Parts: sequence; C-alpha cells; structure tokens
Amino acid sequence: MPAIRNQIRELRAARQMTQQELADRIGVTRQTVIAIEQDKYSPSLETAFKVAIVLGVPLDKCFQYDPNGRR
Amino acid sequence: MATGFSYREKTLYASLAVELAVYGPYFFLHRQNSVNKVAAMIIAIIVLQIILQSIIAGLTRNRVTDERDRLIELRGYRAGYLMIASLMVIGLGMLWFHATVGHLHLENRMVGLHFLSVFFGMLVIADITKTTAQIVSYRKAL
Repeated sequence: MPAIRNQIRELRAARQMTQQELADRIGVTRQTVIAIEQDKYSPSLETAFKVAIVLGVPLDKCFQYDPNGRR
Repeated sequence: MATGFSYREKTLYASLAVELAVYGPYFFLHRQNSVNKVAAMIIAIIVLQIILQSIIAGLTRNRVTDERDRLIELRGYRAGYLMIASLMVIGLGMLWFHATVGHLHLENRMVGLHFLSVFFGMLVIADITKTTAQIVSYRKAL
C-alpha cells in the first residue's frame, strides 16, 4: 500500500466533477489528477489543500498517511 | 489534439524524435565527421525543434504545466547530469590509459576533430538520456 492514499476519485464522482474540471480548478493538468488518483504521485501540500477546498472537505478526508506504506 | 498525453509529454516525444532523427545518422552512418557537420547538426536540431514545438503548441489547446511537470523535468536533468559526469570520467580514464601506453598522438592534425566528436557525442547521449528519463517518469509512479 502507498504511504499516501486518497479518496479523490470517490469524492469527485459524488460531486459529478470530471478530472478535467478538478484539474482546471486546482491549476494542474488532467494527467496529474489521474496520477494522484492512481496513487502514482503525491501532490505538494499546496495542491493537496486546493483539492480539499475544491471538493469541500477537510484535508484528512481527501488524503490519508500510512506510516507503514511504501514511498 | 485530444490524446492521453499532456502538453509537456508531447513536446518530449517530439524532442526525442528530432534528436534520434538528426543525431542517429550522424553517429551511425557518417564515417567522416567534420566541424561543419557538427554545426549543421546543431542548426538542424534547432530548426526542427522550433517547427515541431510550434506545431504541437498550435494543436494543443491546454498548455498548462504544473508541479509534476517541474519535478519530472528536474529528474530528467539529474539523469542527464549523471550520464555526462559518468561519460566524462570514462573518457578521461581512456585518455589517461592511451597516454600511458603511448597510443595518444597529439601531433596528429585530426586529434582536435576526434575530441570534438567525443565531447559532442557525450552531450548528445546526455541529452537523449535526459529526455528519455523524463518520458519514463511520466509513465511510472513518482
């Protein structure tokens, strides 16, 4: 399991938001959103906060840290 | 151009294609290299890069670059630096070896061109390594 996991895909789907819409609102490419959702890329703290704000949830609802996960 | 590639990825594939198309024949087909050919190579690279990058920029609506692109760019430069540093060490080692066993003839008038070719080759290999490392980084987890 990766060290940092996220629920962005589920939260985004619940809001019927596309990857491109989320990417545009947080100022990244759609490919970066895809990489984050697939746990292939851990975003910067600033981008993580932007994701949480756009999805309207606290940061820890979007991202979870597992100290035993692989990095 | 609605592909699965970001703007940066498309420019990287174009760069790699240009590098292989121009440098490939230079290193593998031409036996007699010259300063003029090196200069022509550099001009060809610049012209082809401008044309291809302009086409990609024109066809790509969303030209956003972000933190992941910058991180991948840095990884590419690190790979390129490690490659050129390694090649420099190997090259200097070979130079030392040839000088030691007496195979190095600096009075030969072609020696300057040989050195130019070797250093140009090192730069080319480092550049291709940088571009390839960036392309690979886009496809794997960071």
